[in-house]
Amino acid sequence: MTDLITASPDSPSVLARPRPRRRRSRGWRNALIGWSFILPNLIGFVAITLVPVLAMFALSFASWDGYNPPSWVGLKNFRRLFKDDASMTALWNTLYYAVGYVPLTMLAALGLALLLNRKMRGVAFFRAVAFFPYITSLVAVAIVWNMLFNPQFGPVNQFLGWFGVHGPGWTTSTTWAMPAVIVTSVWRDMGYYMILFLAGLQAIPKELYEAAEVDGTNAWQRFRAVTVPGLRPTSFLVLILLTVQAFKVFDLIYVMTQGGPGDATLVLAQQIYQTGIVDGQYGYASAISVLLFALVLVLTLIQFWFNGRRERK
Amino acid sequence: MHRRKFLQLAASAAAAGPLLSACGSSSGSSSGSDGPVTLTVSTWSMSTTPEFKALFDAFQKLYPNITIKPVDILAADYSTKVKVMLSGGDSTDIITMKNTTDYGQFAERGQLRDISSLASSGTAPSLQGLSSFKMNDKYYALPYRQDFWALFYNKKLFDAAGKPYPTNMTWDEYATLAESLTTGSGGSKVYGTYHHTWRSVVQAISAAQTGGDLIGGKYEFFTDQYDIALGIQNAGAALDYGTATTQKTGYQAMIETGKTAMLPMGTWLIGTLWADKKSGTTDIDWSMAPMPQRSGASGVTTFGSPTAFSINKKAKNVDAAEKFIDFATGPQGAAIVAGIGIVPALLNDDTRKVYFGLDGMPTDAGFQTAFKPDKVVLEMPVNDKSSQIDTILTAEHTLVMTKQKSIAAGIAEMDSRVQTEVE
Repeated sequence: MTDLITASPDSPSVLARPRPRRRRSRGWRNALIGWSFILPNLIGFVAITLVPVLAMFALSFASWDGYNPPSWVGLKNFRRLFKDDASMTALWNTLYYAVGYVPLTMLAALGLALLLNRKMRGVAFFRAVAFFPYITSLVAVAIVWNMLFNPQFGPVNQFLGWFGVHGPGWTTSTTWAMPAVIVTSVWRDMGYYMILFLAGLQAIPKELYEAAEVDGTNAWQRFRAVTVPGLRPTSFLVLILLTVQAFKVFDLIYVMTQGGPGDATLVLAQQIYQTGIVDGQYGYASAISVLLFALVLVLTLIQFWFNGRRERK
Repeated sequence: MHRRKFLQLAASAAAAGPLLSACGSSSGSSSGSDGPVTLTVSTWSMSTTPEFKALFDAFQKLYPNITIKPVDILAADYSTKVKVMLSGGDSTDIITMKNTTDYGQFAERGQLRDISSLASSGTAPSLQGLSSFKMNDKYYALPYRQDFWALFYNKKLFDAAGKPYPTNMTWDEYATLAESLTTGSGGSKVYGTYHHTWRSVVQAISAAQTGGDLIGGKYEFFTDQYDIALGIQNAGAALDYGTATTQKTGYQAMIETGKTAMLPMGTWLIGTLWADKKSGTTDIDWSMAPMPQRSGASGVTTFGSPTAFSINKKAKNVDAAEKFIDFATGPQGAAIVAGIGIVPALLNDDTRKVYFGLDGMPTDAGFQTAFKPDKVVLEMPVNDKSSQIDTILTAEHTLVMTKQKSIAAGIAEMDSRVQTEVE
């Protein structure tokens, strides 16, 4: 590939042409080469992401059963969306999940990274252990945690029982199903974000810590004054990834509780699946998707704005 | 080295190309009766659903120029996958209808071919459950098996408790019996009965026996049945609903491992128990009684769900597809289905004889009586709103069964949600 780029401008046919044309053709050539590099990704993106996303925006103003031609209904889907109890419950549940999942995962991942960012025996082993949940099949994770949370025979409630606490019904209780789901997702994902934090920690220059030590700071002060600012680019990335992840949660909840009991863990992604794929109301499902899209977009923009302001400080 | 690897990759990609395109276009020739035809049929979990293979093999023997190519889909994903396939303009010839809820949607959208002429010829008019498929005076599917619900029981556990085998019972008698059959505790507990987590276990049977309308938006008629189900659960005579959902308990495992003495379930379980006993997976001595009834009811009323074949509107081999449906739903198909322990939709003396004559089927008279319920009501009416209503009823069912809501509050919520949310 490199041969191709360097060799071709020197070929006689190119040299023979007058100068200005040669420059233009060279520019074209470079552009073409550039395009050809990103083409495989671009084709995939356009065909299976961009087109469906644009179709979603169009369909949100239509009524479509997925088979017969769609018919234009204007804002009807959106009016229905804000009156529909199930969709509104799904919206609140999604926010609830995000509020629990994002900070907890971040704290857990950072904690693990700090613990495992030191020279000690078997640190590679412990890092692998922490990462392990992330590569485990999600269905297996959901099923095993479901059994752990079993109200009668589950180890979680047996453990609580030793302290005289009568454990709740967890996934069978409308109050505790969401916390149970959040705990499971935090456990599953913390290893992955731990790796990101570890990379961030190792990028912080050692000299800063040494200088801080010379200045007579204690461990907490060093964490506040060196680690936290040094990790800001990583934390920002993790925060964005986690937010997006939280809002599109589907698989874990679908296997663990199917949105139940009742609609206690029904989230937007599942409501979209239910109304679109299962009930065949693709127009209405698209309207819910637009809501989800807007939500993630606004939150991401806020985070960018916040980060930008801090960076300028 | 690099170049060779690249060549290998390119070669395998080139080889995959025609393969992939062949998958997309399926069979080419359209309805020629002489030339070889490849008929595509959608099926679910073929390895555990023996009727498909049995029917296909027999059909291909009869029509050597027709080859059947199954489009096999995991049972749990079947409904979703077929919806996506049909929406995407897939041309699979025969679409198997796993339930009537989806049938309503497909027929309403015009995705299925009108086969009313098949429905009025030969033995078809006498098919059990045929009327469920009538939409706007037309038929878009013909049933080939008709399952209905009955009460399965473990004979050994009844003998051990010194109880006579169940026959016609009221729900109250059933509840008392379930309590008296419950023994042991903890991990070795044997329950009197097992109610699976599906909403139909409570809702469809009460709709069938009270004449209630499952898509009407008024669900007070569920009350008595929820009282019974929760009463049995509170008495510890059935596995707790929450435990059953968190452990994803299988009803088949409950009866086959002797963890429950009784089990209300669809007749598809007969084929499973029969085959599992034959293969040595279980040694349970089982039989079947009619579903318990409301006190004062005359005759046996239960609910059921037919399974049917239909032709895709975009099918390429209509002639062959019609031949297959005619065969599968006719006397020959019924005999084959009955021969592997499955209840055919064409239920007459001939097919019953095949069925009861199977080696390893229960031989008691009770089993044969249980096989002739007086009335079988459709599990869920055919309607394009069924799917949405099903979602709501399922959600509220879990809340009532896990006691997050009282029966009255749950039913009130079903009423209001079905009346306001369904569009």
